[in-house]
Amino acid sequence: MNRSRRNWNEVNAASLARWIVLTGFLALTGLCYVYLTLQLDHLGDRKKALETEVTNLRMQNEVASAQIAALTSRAALQRRLKEGYLKMIPIAEHNIVRLTIPNRNPDDAIQPVSNPRSAR
Amino acid sequence: MKWNSRTRCAIVCLGFILLFSLFSFRLIYLQMIKHDEYAGLAAEKHVIKQPIFAERGAILDANNEVLAHNVPVETVVADASRLTELDATIDLVSNELQLPRGEVSEKLRSDRRYIVLKREVAKANADSLRQKLRAKNLRGVYFEQDATRIYPNGIMLCHVIGFTDFEHKGIQGVEGSLDEYLRGQDGYRYIEHNRVGQEIVQYRGQERAPRNGYQVHLTVDLNLQNIVENEIDAAMREYSPKKATIILMRPQTGEILAMANRPAFDLNRRSNAKPEQMKNRAICDMMEPGSTFKIVTAAAALNEHKFSLDSYIFCENGMWNYGGTPLHDHAAFGDLSVKDILVKSSNIGAAKLAVTLGDQKFYEYIRRFGFGDRTGVELPGEIPGLIRSPQSWSKISITHIPMGHEIGVTPLQMATAMCAIANGGKLMTPRIVKSITTSDGKTISTLKPIALRQVISPQTANQIGMALRGVVSDRGTAAAAAVPGFVIAGKTGTAQKVGPHGGYEKGKEVVSFCGYLPAENPQFVGLVVLDDAQTKPEQNYGGAVAGPIFSHVAEKAARYLDLEPHEEIRKAIPVERVALTSSSRH
Repeated sequence: MNRSRRNWNEVNAASLARWIVLTGFLALTGLCYVYLTLQLDHLGDRKKALETEVTNLRMQNEVASAQIAALTSRAALQRRLKEGYLKMIPIAEHNIVRLTIPNRNPDDAIQPVSNPRSAR
Repeated sequence: MKWNSRTRCAIVCLGFILLFSLFSFRLIYLQMIKHDEYAGLAAEKHVIKQPIFAERGAILDANNEVLAHNVPVETVVADASRLTELDATIDLVSNELQLPRGEVSEKLRSDRRYIVLKREVAKANADSLRQKLRAKNLRGVYFEQDATRIYPNGIMLCHVIGFTDFEHKGIQGVEGSLDEYLRGQDGYRYIEHNRVGQEIVQYRGQERAPRNGYQVHLTVDLNLQNIVENEIDAAMREYSPKKATIILMRPQTGEILAMANRPAFDLNRRSNAKPEQMKNRAICDMMEPGSTFKIVTAAAALNEHKFSLDSYIFCENGMWNYGGTPLHDHAAFGDLSVKDILVKSSNIGAAKLAVTLGDQKFYEYIRRFGFGDRTGVELPGEIPGLIRSPQSWSKISITHIPMGHEIGVTPLQMATAMCAIANGGKLMTPRIVKSITTSDGKTISTLKPIALRQVISPQTANQIGMALRGVVSDRGTAAAAAVPGFVIAGKTGTAQKVGPHGGYEKGKEVVSFCGYLPAENPQFVGLVVLDDAQTKPEQNYGGAVAGPIFSHVAEKAARYLDLEPHEEIRKAIPVERVALTSSSRH
């Protein structure tokens, strides 16, 4: 027992533990750095993909707006009218009802919305 | 020499220390001393300033109807140094983009790193090509986002809207004159890319967002424009003139409600258009106005109190020798009142008014009415017309200018002058732009009406207006310009056409009619000009050709604007009326 104890190198458990912790910490830090870098890269890719998607949606929206504008333009409606898709009947003069605007005194030009009596 | 283990260990450690010191020194040398140089080289290779293109603003009419806007397209480009399979790429690109194989082959076999294969490729076609390239693993062909300008109404209002070139720079019409507002401001982003050209998003640098172009709202009402376009087309079919112009303006504000010219072109097929079709004749063409110019002569004479509306002038029974040159009327008139000079359109009467006024005074009034100056409308290429100063007039100029000869005016100047008569004597700056807004509707600028000057007194304007009502009557020269239910004031004009080499061309006339409606409370001024209308010589007059066109336009415009027909005439038409009495309001 004494002989074996003499031949062995003595291990400083506290020091070893310190080194293990330090190494572990450094390894963990390194792994975290790698993980976060990869995560950043992954998020970058996702961001790019989302940007592309948004751009595509915006483009589709613009294409659709352009088609709506083209189909509802005066020229297109005129063409449809000529082709017979649409039919318009002019309003005859006897079908027009005109409302006569009642004459007002200049004093009545501004009409208050509140009832002055209620203020009494 | 025998080294013990400790020494050997020390030597190995020293070796390692030296080696790692060397590495450290090299690292410090590269990272600190040479940092800027290598960082610059790396940036040059991998960092690029990527532009973020601003969207060009739309052009809208007075009712927010779209006149010009953008459609996303893509530009297909190639980098010859990165092409992997040349023949397969050539075949695919030429098939998908419908380009001649030879052309694509020539382009791709060059050593250039930036080759534009095709611009304005529709998104669907670009997507299809992109997928096929990916499926066949072909590299070196790229797609750039772009936009093209679309004009949904094609030919309608083409001269006013104008168009852009392939770099999206406005070069004609409102596209050109308001390019600064429509264009917007491009943004940018510094990006880093990897070996295969893909962006490394986490290394994005400085970024500036683009500012999209502003929207321009015109004063033009597309409903009125449609009326004008239909009528000008009908006139082209009926009279086949070389050129034609119709303008509608609001006299109180100078707003242009409609403006059409022929020949015209389709804005979406502008590459096929001839230069002659692209000219906005309302502002770029000079014409002798003929008798419509008599409004200026009569207004000047009345405003200077040289005559009253009922003053009589002897019109020499149809022929007057002045300065050794005979001046003719179209009929032998004796004594005519100033009013009747306009109603009957007497050249001799107008000449005598100007002679009484004197060269200088008459010239002053011509300029006050805006002739000889650009009107300032927001359209490019406007000409000022041609008005000579009295010093360069011949002896007979004072008798020819009053009837609209020896001067050059633009149709827009003539319409603006008539606006001054209609609105009580104020010369308004014609306006085509109503407001400028952002794409989300926030107003950047609203253009207010600009009254340049009081040309004549409101009384004089009223007197001229009274006389012009007689023109559109069975006594006047433009009975055909009448619109049932409305009192119209207007003036006809017929001028011999000036040839390209000077002198007048026989049998070729420029006929016009300029008037407003309703005469008592003008809502719009209209001008119709036809150059070299093909009709019988005895019918080639402003009243017979341009008058009826004005009548058609005015009738439809009055209906659209819901102008109430005149009471006396309306009585003859059974129209149901509902009077809002005070009791009905409760």
